[in-house]
Amino acid sequence: MIVPLETILGLSAVLFGIGAFGFLARRNIILMFVSSEIMLNAVNLSLIGFSCYLEDSRGQVLALFVIAVAAAEAAVGLGLVIALNRNRPGVGVGDLTELKW
Amino acid sequence: MREAFPLVQLETLVTAQTVFYYMAAASVVTALLAVTRKNPVHSMLWVLALFVHMAGMFLLLDAEFLAAVQIIVYAGAILIFYLFVVMLLDLPDEHVRPRFEQHWPYAAFVGLSFAAMAWLVRTDIHFFEGGGLAKSQVAVPSSVTTDVPTPGSLEDLGIELFGPFALPFEMASLVLLAAIVGAVVLVRRRGVGA
Repeated sequence: MIVPLETILGLSAVLFGIGAFGFLARRNIILMFVSSEIMLNAVNLSLIGFSCYLEDSRGQVLALFVIAVAAAEAAVGLGLVIALNRNRPGVGVGDLTELKW
Repeated sequence: MREAFPLVQLETLVTAQTVFYYMAAASVVTALLAVTRKNPVHSMLWVLALFVHMAGMFLLLDAEFLAAVQIIVYAGAILIFYLFVVMLLDLPDEHVRPRFEQHWPYAAFVGLSFAAMAWLVRTDIHFFEGGGLAKSQVAVPSSVTTDVPTPGSLEDLGIELFGPFALPFEMASLVLLAAIVGAVVLVRRRGVGA
């Protein structure tokens, strides 16, 4: 372990906060998805940090599953974006009001 | 810590730490740039830089396979997929509209409080130290360690994946299959081929 675990977890916390801010503040739906990828990456970083700290590779297996779920989420999310874009152009979430009622 | 760790020279350790701190700083900067740039393509390229720096950190944290997966799957597949969609959609009004909603200070507050919560919990980490999980549960007698694969190596990860994690591994493939079918069903044009 080249750096203390606290450093890794702090970095992970900062990156997760940045991702959460991006997800909540951006109005472009693609950039909201990308912000969620940043959050997933932050979680991966803390999982791998714990795996390195505890000398146990189970954390890395969980990180692998997180990557698989991120790929699935990207596929379905971007499919939704394309389907929505076919009905009405634009990717602003403020315009997508048909799902409200 | 690996057995070979005490043999590592001090200069090597300091170099590795320097590289790690550079990558930590660069990842924070690139993440901030990624969520604040106006042009979506620029955002994607900053996220690409973020993922590459993440892979470097994984490498320094003894996760060689995950570093390769990060480059191949995240930077190579997922991000290119996002870039394709951005270029496919041809967003004409992206430059004239504000990039944030009106409520972005609240979003910043939520992000900061998330980070602050995780940062505060982070200092409780000494719970794991002192005869905790680290030493007792993975106590391997030193005579056997020559046969045990290095933690984080591909061999070790494969043993975990096809041993105790075989069922979750299959579930992951099922999730990916469902995602493929879902994406095809969503994007398929109505009335064509049906």
